[in-house]
Amino acid sequence: MKTLFRPATLALAVAATTGAGCANTTSPEAADSQPATKMSVVEHYADVAHAGYEDALITAKALNKATDRLISDPTEANMKAAKEAWLAARVPYQQTEVFRFGNAIVDDWEGQLNAWPLDEGLIDYVQADDYQYELGNAGATANIIGSKSINVGGETLDVTNLTPELLANLNEIGGSEANVATGYHAIEFLLWGQDLHGFDPGSGERPVTDYAAGADCTNGNCDRRGEYLDAVTDLLVSDLEWMVAQWAPGASDNYRSQLMAADADEGVQKMLFGMGSLSLGELAGERMKVALEANSYEDEHDCFSDNTHNSHYYNGQGIQNVYTGNYRRVDGSLVSGPSLSDLVAQTNPDLDARLNAQLEASMSALGMMKAKAESSQNPMPFDMMIAPGNAEGASIVNGAIMALVEQTGSIEQAARQLGLEALSPDDAGHSF
Amino acid sequence: MTRLALTFLLASSVAVSPLAAATANNADSQTIEYRKQWHSDVLTGYQNLATQGQALSSQAASYCQAPSPEGLEQTKQAWLEAFLAWQQVRFVDFGPVEQGNRAWQFQFWPDPKNLVARKASYLLKDEAPITPEKVSESGVAVQGFPMAEYLLYDQAFANGEEALPAGRSCKLLLAVTRHIADNGQSLANDWQGFQSNYLGSDQYTDTTIRSAMAGLEILEERRLATPMGLRGNGKRSVYSADAWRSEASLAAMGASVQGLKQSFLPAFSKLLTDRKQPDLAEQIAQQFDEVLANFPELDRPMAPLLADDNGYKLLQSLYIDITQLTSLVNDRAAVELGVVRGFNSSDGD
Repeated sequence: MKTLFRPATLALAVAATTGAGCANTTSPEAADSQPATKMSVVEHYADVAHAGYEDALITAKALNKATDRLISDPTEANMKAAKEAWLAARVPYQQTEVFRFGNAIVDDWEGQLNAWPLDEGLIDYVQADDYQYELGNAGATANIIGSKSINVGGETLDVTNLTPELLANLNEIGGSEANVATGYHAIEFLLWGQDLHGFDPGSGERPVTDYAAGADCTNGNCDRRGEYLDAVTDLLVSDLEWMVAQWAPGASDNYRSQLMAADADEGVQKMLFGMGSLSLGELAGERMKVALEANSYEDEHDCFSDNTHNSHYYNGQGIQNVYTGNYRRVDGSLVSGPSLSDLVAQTNPDLDARLNAQLEASMSALGMMKAKAESSQNPMPFDMMIAPGNAEGASIVNGAIMALVEQTGSIEQAARQLGLEALSPDDAGHSF
Repeated sequence: MTRLALTFLLASSVAVSPLAAATANNADSQTIEYRKQWHSDVLTGYQNLATQGQALSSQAASYCQAPSPEGLEQTKQAWLEAFLAWQQVRFVDFGPVEQGNRAWQFQFWPDPKNLVARKASYLLKDEAPITPEKVSESGVAVQGFPMAEYLLYDQAFANGEEALPAGRSCKLLLAVTRHIADNGQSLANDWQGFQSNYLGSDQYTDTTIRSAMAGLEILEERRLATPMGLRGNGKRSVYSADAWRSEASLAAMGASVQGLKQSFLPAFSKLLTDRKQPDLAEQIAQQFDEVLANFPELDRPMAPLLADDNGYKLLQSLYIDITQLTSLVNDRAAVELGVVRGFNSSDGD
């Protein structure tokens, strides 16, 4: 049973069902066929992951094109287009983060794409008196763009040729996780620059002339900055291609085939573990509670672009996707199929209804955060919400945290309902 | 990077647990005896924290009134004693310590971005007077032991213009230590007020055991294995430990194990014994002593031990002892008692 719709098959399916909206929900054969089983739910989970990574790849390719245009023709319009492409690329990617926890193959890979917080002084110039970097990080001020050779912790490295391979190897150089040379946040920094506004309105203000040729170049090394941006976006595309292949159906030697060959309980456990870990420890805890309680914009997720609210929102969406089995693709089509929700409803419809309602409540709380941040009048981005004394902002963030905490309790109950007692991460990581 | 001090009260902590279910079957009176003991043992720990917090606050006041090098040393000593008192009860992650993020107020950790230094610099440069209110509204990185530690121990700070006993720095020290003392007192009072809730609900038996399990996991993984370079990127780094400025990282671990032994183990041993596991109870008690036998030899700075392979061996043997303790409690005993680990704040990266 396979219900992952590509646009080509969509037209048929729409004709066969209600025709409401631009996308179909379930395929005709799936809708009335056998009840969901753990096996079919895990298979559909792999379909959702595959569609998510495909969308991340599609939007990353668009970003790569936009940055290529910016590099060859650094105009305000091309800078704006590149930033918009970056923002669009975040939408599908953030929804895939729920696959990280539980699937070691994703977790081991994602650091090269989405590591944060980063000590941006590794990459390019920073304003020294407003730059707080990780304690003991010898690479925090290396400035790869500014020099053809850098010294990190006594080790000298030739960085003359800024290739994707070189940047990948520079990740976590000197053993510091804050040395992030690659991925979305490195690209974000190269487009927006440092956000020097603290709790005040405004994000990074990198001038487009940072990519200008000759005498128009600002802040020096514009050609190397362009080479860096070129290499880092190329790397993003090839990394995503690799992950798409891991989840592709029909292969006998990829991650999906291992997942499907293993006991279905293991797959279901990974699904629930990923939902609960992202919901509680990562999103509610690390990404929101810490930033709020310490009033720390250093702990803000997309700090250069002030896009943090969307990162949080689409993380939440990813959690809901895994439970409901529904994923709205970037082209508007809907991927749908046997879900955890179906499984739980078979034996405990009340719990299923409660968890669905809680997932809706989280999305509505995160939606309020998004709306407030993007409001045309007095927008309040995440870094302003967490400012000391901002009671309204704190209450918005707290609302989202509490909603996520509540749903995590039901995720644990769902695990028990499905006969999975231990959601211990130790069990989750060892199978593959 | 995940900040483990954070705990959320999950819906599951009030869900039916195996221990609660077991007692529901043979009348309610069973596990309340263990909770009576836990309540009393934790109260002793909280009262000690309140007392040491008061002593720190008074000592800081007399130092700032008449500064002297001896006074600074005495204030550092008072900080250390209060900090170790907190380490002893740090595992308790439920009840009144959850109110207003008190656990984070006592100790915001980990702090890889050095937020403590940044906040201190911001407050000291600011024109506004440093008052208790200012500290209350400045976020958890300002309100606890790490901020006081920064003011008392940070080497760069001590060599700068704002070093103690400079006026604003002393004002900040006074306000922060006052905040610690007040929090310690309220925590002890609120724990007393929490008694009937705690005794009245069987689920708290599970919750208490899970708090000890989480405390041990944090100790093994985050406080010891990570700075030793056994996790993540494999780099040894004292900055991943807590209390590196005061060089008290290891002493703090000893205090945490001691605290578990004093406040958690007595009732836990009794519970295991009553559940026909007297051998396991005995093994766990012995393993606590094995861990504690590493001290006071290991009441010393961690950084030199990380830098030297012979010194590193001392850390390795501590690590092995703690691993064995964690395994006995979190795996063997938890399985025997049917206590399931749920999601906690350490899930994530």
